[in-house]
Amino acid sequence: MKILRKIKDKLKKIVPSRLGSLKAKKKKASAKSPAACVTTKDIPGFQETIAVNTKFSHPEDTRPRSSMPNELPVSYDQDKIVLQVRDPRWLHTYWELRNQTIEGLKSSLGDEFYRAKKILRVYDVTNIIFNGSNANSFFDIQYNDFATSWYIDTAGPGRSWCVDLGLMLIDGRFITILRSNVVSTPLDGPSWITDEEWMIPEDVFARLYGMGFGLGKSSPVGGAWQQRLKQGLFSSGVSSSPVRKAVKERSFWMKVDCELIVYGATEPDAKVTVQGQPINLRPDGTFTLRYYLPDSKQVIPVKAVSADKLEERTITPIVTRETR
Amino acid sequence: MHGHLPFVRHPEHENFLEEDWLYEAITETYVPLISVFEGLVRDNIDFRITMTLSPTLISMLSDQLLQERYLKHINKLIELSEKEMERTKWQEDFRRLAEMYFHKFSYARDTFQKYNNNLVYAFKKFQDLGKLEIITCGATHGFFPLMDVCRESVRAQVKVAADHYESVFGRRPSGIWLPECGFCPGHDEILREAGIRYFFTDSHGLLHGTPRPKYGVFAPVYCKGTGVAAFGRDLESSKQVWSSIEGYPGDYNYREFYRDVGFDLEFDYIKPYIHPDGVRINTGIKYYRITGTGNHKQPYVADWARDRAAEHAGNFMFNRQKQAGYLNELMGKPPIIISPYDAELFGHWWYEGPMWLDFLFRKVACDQKEIRMITPSEYLAENPRNQVITPSFSSWGYKGYSEMWLQGTNDWIYRHLHTASGRMSELTRSYPRAQGLLRRALNQALRELLLAQSSDWAFILGTGTHTSYAVRRTKDHLLRFNRIYEDIKSNSINENWLSDIEYKDNLFPNIDYQVHQ
Repeated sequence: MKILRKIKDKLKKIVPSRLGSLKAKKKKASAKSPAACVTTKDIPGFQETIAVNTKFSHPEDTRPRSSMPNELPVSYDQDKIVLQVRDPRWLHTYWELRNQTIEGLKSSLGDEFYRAKKILRVYDVTNIIFNGSNANSFFDIQYNDFATSWYIDTAGPGRSWCVDLGLMLIDGRFITILRSNVVSTPLDGPSWITDEEWMIPEDVFARLYGMGFGLGKSSPVGGAWQQRLKQGLFSSGVSSSPVRKAVKERSFWMKVDCELIVYGATEPDAKVTVQGQPINLRPDGTFTLRYYLPDSKQVIPVKAVSADKLEERTITPIVTRETR
Repeated sequence: MHGHLPFVRHPEHENFLEEDWLYEAITETYVPLISVFEGLVRDNIDFRITMTLSPTLISMLSDQLLQERYLKHINKLIELSEKEMERTKWQEDFRRLAEMYFHKFSYARDTFQKYNNNLVYAFKKFQDLGKLEIITCGATHGFFPLMDVCRESVRAQVKVAADHYESVFGRRPSGIWLPECGFCPGHDEILREAGIRYFFTDSHGLLHGTPRPKYGVFAPVYCKGTGVAAFGRDLESSKQVWSSIEGYPGDYNYREFYRDVGFDLEFDYIKPYIHPDGVRINTGIKYYRITGTGNHKQPYVADWARDRAAEHAGNFMFNRQKQAGYLNELMGKPPIIISPYDAELFGHWWYEGPMWLDFLFRKVACDQKEIRMITPSEYLAENPRNQVITPSFSSWGYKGYSEMWLQGTNDWIYRHLHTASGRMSELTRSYPRAQGLLRRALNQALRELLLAQSSDWAFILGTGTHTSYAVRRTKDHLLRFNRIYEDIKSNSINENWLSDIEYKDNLFPNIDYQVHQ
């Protein structure tokens, strides 16, 4: 679901002049109707967790079940928006609004609340101390009623970002409900900044750069990062394998093999050999031997000698396996 | 080399599948590595290797319950290999391999017992001899870049780890392997506070740093403002070992990982050695070599594999000599080449890996003079003057940043983790000098938070297969944390319940909740 959401979202840049001033209205009180929030079935793994509960739940029964829930709360009764960097291009944000915050907006905006668009406003705040109105630029993303998180394509490596969760009213006014932390996306290529003391000729750096990515001595700087991504060589975690597995050529298959069980019994204190090699008896004098049986003829003399060495018996099964 | 496993310990279950991760790693990776080190010391071969032992791994290796369970596990394997020697009597190729496993497993048990069931002592021994440099990691391998909005938690991950390291090895750690190599500018300040002098980044961490690193990844840099050194990963040497396509481990003479008697043999026979529910699992006895790209596999021939490992070690050394020679000319000074790998690649996934490492150490020490092995501490002592830059945000995870741990299947965890971090800071502020039961509750709250933060859970969720355990662990630790938080706030800590989870999640006995600020 969330993957679709992030692909689906294409960003619209809205001309700043249409928008009037940015007003930050926050936290007002009461009215009705619940907030849009994640339902339990939206939490990945929830269904599966129920299925495996018996296997992995650890009964902690010193306290009544009801006070130790089995599922995490859907919200923590807080007004909060958090912004994180996924890679040089993409950000991730999630948020939570208290019911009373939403009710406050409803009561102060009246009908306008229901006609307003739900907007994430993404500010480029590179190299500035953001005060709400001095962003280098910004763009808006309209999100749907049920979203509580979003992946944002900034297309802007090496810049700093801040996001407002807000409402776009019919008359074009933007109301900020929550403001995120500021994050910086990394560069997706080498920096243009060099320091004098550690200068290096461009062509030498280009060679070192390519070699650092394992691309050899003559890889061009542009595109080296894309090349590097294609190589893989990423960490593989505890449960997944870095070793290649052969793919099944076809889905249908069959295996057949043979093993031979030789078993018997004698006096518990007797000495027994099979094909000339001594074997151990169980306390009751029985024994069982199990062999992989290749295509062959096997002559299997089983010999028992009594404890006083006065008597012996030999029985010799002969087994042939032939596979066609 | 990065040695890490998530904390998996379930005293409440007799058999717990995921505990096998530890047991397999002991038999297949840690004991074989220790055996390589022992051999080198015995033969007076000078060598250097830098290795993470993550705090969770150290905690499990030192845990008595898991030690006892390992002995049970290895004894079962020895029993199985004995049966296998008999069963394969009429199949010479296989019987020899069954004997190989019998000796391997017996050796693992003997080694384990020789170090009083605690392999941490073995690693410590080689560190004390100056051959092995053990570095630390995040306390529970939390992925720091996705904790950047609550740096108190990054600080707790680092401080708990460094203090734990000191209690085990009797000195402060000089370096750290940032979990998943995940670095965010600014976290170097937290490392400095903990007295850590260096860390590692993936190549682009240095190459995309500002200003440009003059020597690429072939010399360390100091972080601007903190002076903590950062070493960058070299991908050329990584590729030779790690690449699933052109890497050494794919050689047709090497052992095939995916054919195990746990899956291949008749059910009733193998049943005592797989999961009690009858779920077939890997036992570690594998009879085939990779053979080719198809499904038809030939029996493994140990001598051939050994020859290949020697050849590959020679090839690796030759390539490093060429690489270093070329770089030396280009840079006008000797380069350092950082080749980090997951420890579990060696032995567990790549059966011949420890043997390859053994050949490599011996060849580098005896066969040439162009290159030598060095630890980061030694390098910094010899080369104290390095460029100052701000390395770039980076990781060695899929696509090089956070995506592996932040995608549709696992992004739901962060609102819970970050809220818990905020609550932990709130508790630390509210109860600065807690004693008695309250202190126990606060310490356990931090343990639960740290355990929930393990990047391993998000990683497994990200792979999308066998996710139920990772979901359960994430939720269990967060639920326990939330309950402790609420109990503390309402002044109603239940000691019985607290004792129960202290017993289950028993790592970091000396933890101090006040590091979370």
